[in-house]
Amino acid sequence: MSRLAAIDRAKLARGAGRLALAYAGALVLFGAFVMTKGANPVDVYREMWRSTVMNTTSIGQVLVKASPLILAGLAVAVPAKAGLVNVGGEGQVIMGAVAAGGVALALDGTLPGGVMVVVMMLAAAAAGGLWAGLAAVLRLTVRVNEAITTLLLNYVAIDLLLYLIYQPWKDKHGSGQPATRQLAVAARLPLLGTSKVHAGFLIAVVATAVIFGLLRWTSWGFRLRVVGGNAEAARRAGLPVSALLLSAMVVGGALAGLGGMVHFAGAEFKLRPGMTLNFGYIAFLAAWLARHEPVKVAGAAVLLALIAIGGDSLQLDSGLPAAAVNVLMGLVLVAVMGRGQFRAKAPKVMAVPAAQAPAVVS
Amino acid sequence: MSLPVEVMVGAVRGGTSILYAALGETVSERAGVINLGTEGCMLVGALTGYAVTASTGNPWVGVIAGAGAGALLALVHAVLVLSRGANQLATGLVVLFLGLGLTSLFGAAYVGRSINAFTPIAIPGLSSIPGLGDIFFNHDPLTYLSYLAGPAVWWFLYRSRPGLIMRAAGERQEVLAAYGHSPLRTRYLAVIGGGALAGIGGAQLSTAYANAWFENMTQGRGFIAVALVIFAAWHPLRAVGGAYLFGAALALSPALQARGYGFNQFALDAIPYLVTIGVLVVLGRKRAHAAPEGLKKVFEMTGA
Repeated sequence: MSRLAAIDRAKLARGAGRLALAYAGALVLFGAFVMTKGANPVDVYREMWRSTVMNTTSIGQVLVKASPLILAGLAVAVPAKAGLVNVGGEGQVIMGAVAAGGVALALDGTLPGGVMVVVMMLAAAAAGGLWAGLAAVLRLTVRVNEAITTLLLNYVAIDLLLYLIYQPWKDKHGSGQPATRQLAVAARLPLLGTSKVHAGFLIAVVATAVIFGLLRWTSWGFRLRVVGGNAEAARRAGLPVSALLLSAMVVGGALAGLGGMVHFAGAEFKLRPGMTLNFGYIAFLAAWLARHEPVKVAGAAVLLALIAIGGDSLQLDSGLPAAAVNVLMGLVLVAVMGRGQFRAKAPKVMAVPAAQAPAVVS
Repeated sequence: MSLPVEVMVGAVRGGTSILYAALGETVSERAGVINLGTEGCMLVGALTGYAVTASTGNPWVGVIAGAGAGALLALVHAVLVLSRGANQLATGLVVLFLGLGLTSLFGAAYVGRSINAFTPIAIPGLSSIPGLGDIFFNHDPLTYLSYLAGPAVWWFLYRSRPGLIMRAAGERQEVLAAYGHSPLRTRYLAVIGGGALAGIGGAQLSTAYANAWFENMTQGRGFIAVALVIFAAWHPLRAVGGAYLFGAALALSPALQARGYGFNQFALDAIPYLVTIGVLVVLGRKRAHAAPEGLKKVFEMTGA
């Protein structure tokens, strides 16, 4: 037994060592890129470190950034448990923000702030759930693959957001970039204590815990995993497969929609073009990094938020474009995904017998 | 210029970069690998094309360099997917972020710089045909080349032996292996080739269409290309038609506005996506059969 434990420990240590090596490799490579632009990588990293985790203000920024990412990451993880691919986080986040923004414009000043926040949350979750549910319904009725429809619906959502911002919902008194009217202060998500972190982070943490619990301890979570493991077996065992798939997708979409509301009512306060730039895609990657385990998804989202906030330091302190930090994020992901741990879970190359071949890309 | 002619001119002008990328993605997906990072490949193609044109003064050299850059980024995707067994959808997005970041880092120096770009060449005789002349025969050389690209890819995939092998790699790679070919090598080549075409599309954007470089200049065209391949049911000639459809949708609203019709651009922009979803709904089952077998498996995850 002790020998087994030793082997396990060695395996774990090897895994951890490889992971550390992967992260280090990414940092070194990014440092090399930065050097070609005439910046000193040591300074760059020192500044990034200082401006992300060294004081409470900057940690606050990271957590604010991470809040919608956590929610959108869970929106990928829940459907994934049932074997569904949700690439539509971006669109669902946007629909959530649009719904929250619409509620804010329509009911401005008629409700007490706290009630308003709750109404916005409900509207956002409904909108996100609807957007994802649409893709699920198309998969279940006409067998169109959900990865494709969720991806396409992202663009429809972006165009809808822009349409609203540029015309019907445009703030007539605003100057510069078109945007909606600012959200009333009373309807904004309150800050936690004396920090700069808004209650959206709390929402994200609670959502993570709830999803963790639902997946682990309820029959719904168990059934989702059965369907994800083998839909045909689940069907033969009498599980309501269609309803389960639909529920997984709607819950996912609702979480992403909530992420959009959190971003709107906690950080942006108005709808503007590009407000959710790539949140959904970053969250998709966070979910994959974490292999769709809710708590790890939250951790990965915080890590990616940390890197993103580091981009601001890149611009302010080192004079490099903020978007260059995407290189660091990309390299970290390449390193982690390429270190071989995913191999065991790689899709089987052998063909599935036709009878098992499940619902179909179209 | 009448409205239909103006829109169709815009369709060809605006659709060409998407056309190249969509053809590249068709090749890649035919071999069983989807690359959501096509947008990233287009971006590095656009910047490299622009930068090399700026330093050599020759846009043709720029385009070739752009193709190389797109291919190189696609190689990252290929290694992760084919040799490391990572999920295709996820690594595609990684490639996208790498492209966004790299072009932002290295592109800042080229913002606002002018280059010796491609210029439109009116084809004598043909360009004076009313309507058609403006639509098809008064463009930059890369657009003329794109007229050949669609049929060339079609010929390659459906009439040539390497193309047959490539499609086999996407359908039943074990059969290919049984005949002594390497599915792995074939798929590598398809992904890299797809990236090169996306790079050309990007370079067309910066050296022939906009004649400028700015951050994130592809603005979603790479994603449009991915959507288009599905819309076209993995057929290169339909992808060409789809690229022009997208180009037309992008050109319609400015053309209407110039004539005094207030029209919200974004309502029009959504149409191609809605049409694609509509096509999938109506033709769902039929189109499903067109998908390469290898690709169908990509979208099936085991419950991780």
